[in-house]
Amino acid sequence: MNMVKRPWVWFGFAVFFAAIYLFPLYWMYVTAVKTQSEIFVSPPTFWPNDPDFGVYSYVWTDRNMAPYLWNSVVIASGVTALTVFFGTGCAYVLARYRNAWVDVGLFTILMLQVLPASVMVTPLFVAFNQLGLLNWPRSAVILGAAAKAMPFFVVLTRAAFMSVPRELEEAALVDGNSRLGAFTSIVLPLVRNGVLVCAILTFMSAFGEFIYSKSIIQDPGLQPASVGLQGFLGPNSKDWNAIMAYSAIYVTPILAIFVLLQRRIVSGLTSGALK
Amino acid sequence: MNGAMNQIELTGIEKHYGGYHALKSVNLAIPKGGFVALVGPSGCGKSTLLRTIAGLETITGGAIHIAGQDVTTLPPRLRDIAMVFQSYALYPHMTVAENLTYALRLKGVPKPVARKRAEDIAETIGLTPLLDRYPRALSGGQRQRVAMGRAIIREPKAFLFDEPLSNLDAALRVHMRAEIRKLHNRLGATSVYVTHDQIEAMTMADHVVVMRAGVIEQQGAPLELYDRPANRFVAGFIGSPAMNFIDAVTTDQGVKLALPGEPVIATTTRSQPGRKVLAGLRPEHLAVDPDGALRLPVALVEQTGSTSYLVTDTEPMLTVSANLRRDIHPGDVVGLSIDPARVHLFDPATEARL
Amino acid sequence: MRILRSLTDGIGFDLILIGAAMAFLMAMAGLPLVYNVLMSFQEVDMFSLGSLIRPWAGFDNYRSVVAQPEFWLVMKNTALFVVGSIAGQFTLGFALALFFHQNFPGSATIRGLFLVSWVMPGLVVGAIWSFILAGDYGVLNALLQGVGLISEPVFWKSDPNLSLYAVIIANIWLGLAFNMLLLSVGLAAIPRDIYEAAELDGATAWQRFRTITLPMMRSTIGAVLSLGLIGTLQQFDLFPAITEGGPANTSNVSQYWAWQMSFKLYDFARGATISVMMLVLVLFAAVIYVRSTRGEVRG
Repeated sequence: MNMVKRPWVWFGFAVFFAAIYLFPLYWMYVTAVKTQSEIFVSPPTFWPNDPDFGVYSYVWTDRNMAPYLWNSVVIASGVTALTVFFGTGCAYVLARYRNAWVDVGLFTILMLQVLPASVMVTPLFVAFNQLGLLNWPRSAVILGAAAKAMPFFVVLTRAAFMSVPRELEEAALVDGNSRLGAFTSIVLPLVRNGVLVCAILTFMSAFGEFIYSKSIIQDPGLQPASVGLQGFLGPNSKDWNAIMAYSAIYVTPILAIFVLLQRRIVSGLTSGALK
Repeated sequence: MNGAMNQIELTGIEKHYGGYHALKSVNLAIPKGGFVALVGPSGCGKSTLLRTIAGLETITGGAIHIAGQDVTTLPPRLRDIAMVFQSYALYPHMTVAENLTYALRLKGVPKPVARKRAEDIAETIGLTPLLDRYPRALSGGQRQRVAMGRAIIREPKAFLFDEPLSNLDAALRVHMRAEIRKLHNRLGATSVYVTHDQIEAMTMADHVVVMRAGVIEQQGAPLELYDRPANRFVAGFIGSPAMNFIDAVTTDQGVKLALPGEPVIATTTRSQPGRKVLAGLRPEHLAVDPDGALRLPVALVEQTGSTSYLVTDTEPMLTVSANLRRDIHPGDVVGLSIDPARVHLFDPATEARL
Repeated sequence: MRILRSLTDGIGFDLILIGAAMAFLMAMAGLPLVYNVLMSFQEVDMFSLGSLIRPWAGFDNYRSVVAQPEFWLVMKNTALFVVGSIAGQFTLGFALALFFHQNFPGSATIRGLFLVSWVMPGLVVGAIWSFILAGDYGVLNALLQGVGLISEPVFWKSDPNLSLYAVIIANIWLGLAFNMLLLSVGLAAIPRDIYEAAELDGATAWQRFRTITLPMMRSTIGAVLSLGLIGTLQQFDLFPAITEGGPANTSNVSQYWAWQMSFKLYDFARGATISVMMLVLVLFAAVIYVRSTRGEVRG
């Protein structure tokens, strides 16, 4: 490629594209602090005339957000814990060997990765109902969502494990360690960052989980924030500053984590996503 | 074989990878204090053999004894052997001292004791100022030393080396060659050393094992392999530059070489006349001699300073090493003499020595 | 003894690790999948919901699903949703990937920012776009009117001809960044000296793109397109947030329809049946995906 002649022109364009792309986020934050009447002004104002931050506390209490967000945290934590627990060892084994059985395992994982949640939710609901698991609906959602999240986690983490030379583990074995010892004292410390990034990605996507929670959890006190948001959303919604404030409260923690760890997340994704 | 005398004893080792037969009935006995080099082209099975001794590969047949104990089914950690890897395999998240003491700590040696041992070892191999550094802050040579130190500190029953010098530059490699051999002598250790470099094998080991395609082609003392190669493969593999091979026919007087002038060499090895053979001539056993039996045109002269290599313009090409600098140029015709006692004869079909 | 040793020192350790994961996945994904197929051949109602052995229905469920008045509309919408979303995500994603491939200062950081769309909950993305696309007070209409592209406000969500496109627009925004990231990885993997060689051979920028970039990106493009197909068929959250499939199913797609059958109408048999039909499509995409990444999987 040609050497870039005027890098600042390119930079300017990049900022412009990013601004367009991220406009929906800006719009969410701006709308949240507009008054009810300003929202429906035509043409819309791009900067609020009279920012009203009171909507945040109003939504927080009126929409009962604390338990919703807590449930999201519970579900996301459970999903992440299960996924990391089962997925890490699986990724390690799939990275360690090169043979037909590993190909079968990888193929299975890829096939499970492509199953839409909307396909899985019907049989899961009926089966959980028969097993009586619906009495613990959050646990039921965690089980289902962990199975949904795990293939992607395995594919990404496997790439991290592949970067650890086999010889390091062999050296540990010769030095007198067992397989478990070599795994925990040599291999795991070396992939810690990669696994951590994948775990955070799993947490973030489980934090927004909707379909299983919506279908399985009937008790509003146990529903996550995504279901809570959907409760006052519809084709004819009018309460937009409240909806946007709710959304802002919901996504800001995720956005903060993302911005802080952006570099690591992107490199973790790029190393594993295509493999 | 006598189990009590040998530190490592391999009997009838077989290794299959699926349909691939990697090791074919390998027998090898290494006495206590011996330094054995496994040498051969890549894919010959030498590394696999080393890894079976370490227990990193399970074997499909045969038995392995270390210091008289049958370790065939034991995992690496129970075999009490140390290994130096080609990539050194230093643990990147541990300091040099932690790398050195890893095995000791696993055995439950108290930390201060282990640290003291590490300091002693570091002293002997010149690592003292580096003890608290991480491997990424070390040069290639320093890493190599740490890998050595990690093996030495354990006082194992045997040392296994998997091409430990191949990642170093040429000068350092020669230096480390001597260093490893000195260390071996001082420790009275038993060592198995895998290399693809026959010079490394010849200079370091007191017993060289040449392998090809999972089979031991020949084993013995370095000069024995050089003087009496068992077959064409070993003859061509040992010695640098490689041996010249020339088609020949046996006669009453010796062998007649298929070269211009059809010279006849009065070899010491005789066979019934008229038999087709392959004559092997080492470059260093051909001498530039105006009165020599051969007169061949020169295609190329390679100067290294100490030695000149002449490449003849014949089919096949012959390489001749001439110790003296001579005023020879491409296109010149030179006379060459052959030491008849140094001619090796091989059967062209079986490639075995005659 | 032998087994115990294999666990501490041998392949038994690997088998435990992968076995636990596979058992979990089989229980939570494999068995439900089989159960789903089974249910699509059974009569399921509120009374037989709790039992495993239900009256056998043969292909009745399939016949009745196809006979639904909205069946062909939903199928057409699904196809349009998939094609429209992938086309938008891929072209815009590829264009941006090429743009950011110029390696100017800050390119990596700004490109990384695009990925926020990918980590946001789908429901929130749906909520924001639902507001942006609103007919009489939505900002998109205001912007389009401002630049003179339209004179009358467009009712994206309630116009039966446009409702599906409302969801497609939001889905393009959602998936664009991931497409761009994967394509960027593919672009970065092409050695720079190949371009230099082509330039010395006198190839123009367009010729370089056509003769080097595209052919060398073939497996990446295959993977991105099949992942796009998979991701689009998995997209669910935008529908309840933006149109709820309406008006009159004009923006309904099979994944949402299947869910409505099960969880709005409590007709689990037909929900399962639609799911099985979708599964065939998804597995087709998965096979393409595996084929296009096979080289990389083997490493």
